[in-house]
Amino acid sequence: MTLAKPLPAAARPRRRGRTAPYLFVLPALLLFAAFKLYPIGWSFLLSLHRTTGGTETFVGLDNYARLIDDPLLWTALRNTLVILAVQVPLMLALATGLAVALDSRLLKGRPLFRLGFFLPMVTGLVAYGIVFSVLLNKDYGLVNWLLGHVGADPVPWLTDGTWARISLGLALTWHYTGYNAVILLARLQTVPRELYDAAAVDGAGALTAFRHVTLPGLRPALLLTTVLSTIGTLQLFDEPTVLTGGGPDNATLTLGMYLYRNAFTYFDFGYASAVAYALTLLIGLLGLLQFRLLGGKQ
Amino acid sequence: MAPRDRNDADRTHPTAAARPARRDLLRMGGGALAATGLALTGCSGTGADGGGGEKGDPEKGRITVWSWQGPAAELKALVPDFNKTHPGIQVTVEDIGNPAIWEKITAGLAAGGQGLADVLHIGVDYLPGYVERFPGGLADLAPLGATAYRDSFAAGLWGTVSPDGKRVNALPWEANSAGFYYRADLFEEAGVDAEALQTWDETIEAGKVLKAKTGAHLLGLDKPASQPDAANFFQMLLQLQGTFYFDRDGRITLASPEAVKAMTLIKTMNDAGLVSDLSGGWNALMSSLEKGTNAVVPWPTWFGGIIEEQVPGEAGKWRVRLPPAVRRGGPTAATVNSTHLAVAGSSRHQAAAWSFVEHVLTRPASQVRIYRGKGIAPALMEAYDDSVFHEPSAFFGGQKKGEVFLAALKAPSPPVNYTADYSRALKLVTDAQTKVLLKGADPAAVLRDAAAELARQTGRKAAE
Repeated sequence: MTLAKPLPAAARPRRRGRTAPYLFVLPALLLFAAFKLYPIGWSFLLSLHRTTGGTETFVGLDNYARLIDDPLLWTALRNTLVILAVQVPLMLALATGLAVALDSRLLKGRPLFRLGFFLPMVTGLVAYGIVFSVLLNKDYGLVNWLLGHVGADPVPWLTDGTWARISLGLALTWHYTGYNAVILLARLQTVPRELYDAAAVDGAGALTAFRHVTLPGLRPALLLTTVLSTIGTLQLFDEPTVLTGGGPDNATLTLGMYLYRNAFTYFDFGYASAVAYALTLLIGLLGLLQFRLLGGKQ
Repeated sequence: MAPRDRNDADRTHPTAAARPARRDLLRMGGGALAATGLALTGCSGTGADGGGGEKGDPEKGRITVWSWQGPAAELKALVPDFNKTHPGIQVTVEDIGNPAIWEKITAGLAAGGQGLADVLHIGVDYLPGYVERFPGGLADLAPLGATAYRDSFAAGLWGTVSPDGKRVNALPWEANSAGFYYRADLFEEAGVDAEALQTWDETIEAGKVLKAKTGAHLLGLDKPASQPDAANFFQMLLQLQGTFYFDRDGRITLASPEAVKAMTLIKTMNDAGLVSDLSGGWNALMSSLEKGTNAVVPWPTWFGGIIEEQVPGEAGKWRVRLPPAVRRGGPTAATVNSTHLAVAGSSRHQAAAWSFVEHVLTRPASQVRIYRGKGIAPALMEAYDDSVFHEPSAFFGGQKKGEVFLAALKAPSPPVNYTADYSRALKLVTDAQTKVLLKGADPAAVLRDAAAELARQTGRKAAE
């Protein structure tokens, strides 16, 4: 910064005061630039190139054109959208119910329950994936062993396409419901008590109060959890990788896995980057849509 | 509704709460700066130092070696011996785990060698991909002296590590031949002579008798392909017919009559109820050994040591032979996989790294020691002069296990062209196999689709 006239002495401390915040922000900014901004820009350049025999050639939008007629990409997209359409609403409904229950004055030992439902979130993604895959193994798993004791046939939890999707959904629900419930619970606690009293005076039952007081009150938190879950689902990687490896026959292949596989198993970084940009676009569009639908006024 | 009194506690002494918070912030800022500094310096070095000259000093330096599980343990055990002759080289062996090591090497090569170890243990399935996608990523071992060992290894392996006969990308370590481990007690109970089985068609018939009389499955496969190696058995059946996914010119042979024959054998076994499901990877495989689910384990050389370790109580019940042929009178020997040690092109201690590679792979004493430890079969032919390969094994009922596989190594084995697109082919094959095993799909149809998709993905032509 160059200034023609020297500043009056009194202004100096004020000026130093103005640069200090930037200095404080600088480390975070540098880290962001090095580890986020740079890869984001570089991967866009990569998506315009194809690597053959170690040399990179500029191919323009070829990689994006490849996306259109790649059957596996569409399979991955379909799988991801199925999880999004089935598992996310179910999980959020469960989380809402859980939040209301955890908030209830009838419940004894509330902190213990809240902790219990939140704890799965603390578990490492790979660790719980492995635990589920061991539990759900068809021939050697605990779940089928227990089912065997009540006379049920072994369920092909991970070896049948449909069951594998269900297993994946169960694992995700176990892991993330408590987390979402805690977010909803925090919002729930800000809904004024008087609204419920007023509703009761007007003759509203528990269900009516839930519909007209609790749900509208939860709206911002529901939007937040929906958007977070949508982004999380679209980027889903760890759980299917550990649990099913994307199988059987790509029934649980997700966009995140397909991207990773193209980059790190097939060394096709250009195409993987194109998949990444397509995914980003999709997340952006869905996020926008959700804000429109759930965001209400403002 | 929950009582809100909790919030009052936070409101009581706002200043007292704010002051330490600001100090914490400052401390965090400093910490972040320090971390940035660390990260930047951490990025600039490969973690080794003391190099001199372009390839470094062959007798000095600190080198890191990446391998996995058993082989890593054996490499570690060889270090003290290595240091007797090379006291100036400090070796650190890291067990990265398999399959994690493949992606870790990929990431390192893609980053131009940043963070990569000096010596890398690489399977035959990944070697061509690394070489083709990352030229210079692996050091040329020829100038370091590798060419002297051209004729030291099992047939066909030199072509794998040095496709053009000049540049040497790695040196062979293990050479695994297709094997056929079986439970002699179960075969006896069923009244079937396992040694007399000539073809896989006969073996399937024997499997039906086995299943009826003992309840055991013939063999197990990872039906939903939960692991990337789910197609090992299919691959072996291909190699027993002298073919693979690609021919020598790199054209796709996935839909060849041989491939259809192999997949049809698998379908026949499965439809007859002879195939148990081994999905779930290593744990499931080990459980199946303990439970005695399968009478046959059609795994290569290295798996013998694993069986001995896993079910020591079954000593005397197991036997081993080479697999039956696919066509009557056809080959029963196939080198189904090999592993190699390579030196990173980015290493500043290539000469020292080569000294270690040479010590491990070209000295019979090293290889004999590794074989005694973990049953890892050497590619180094001279090692087989040692008595350990000619001793009767108590676990395998007094059989000379080492000689069984040595015979296979000495048999002519056509070189296998994995190409840089092996992992794409493998994925399509495992998907095709899953369709056959779980949905009863037609082998010819799924292989035709897989071949077409592979051609679309890679731009390779189909053979014929």
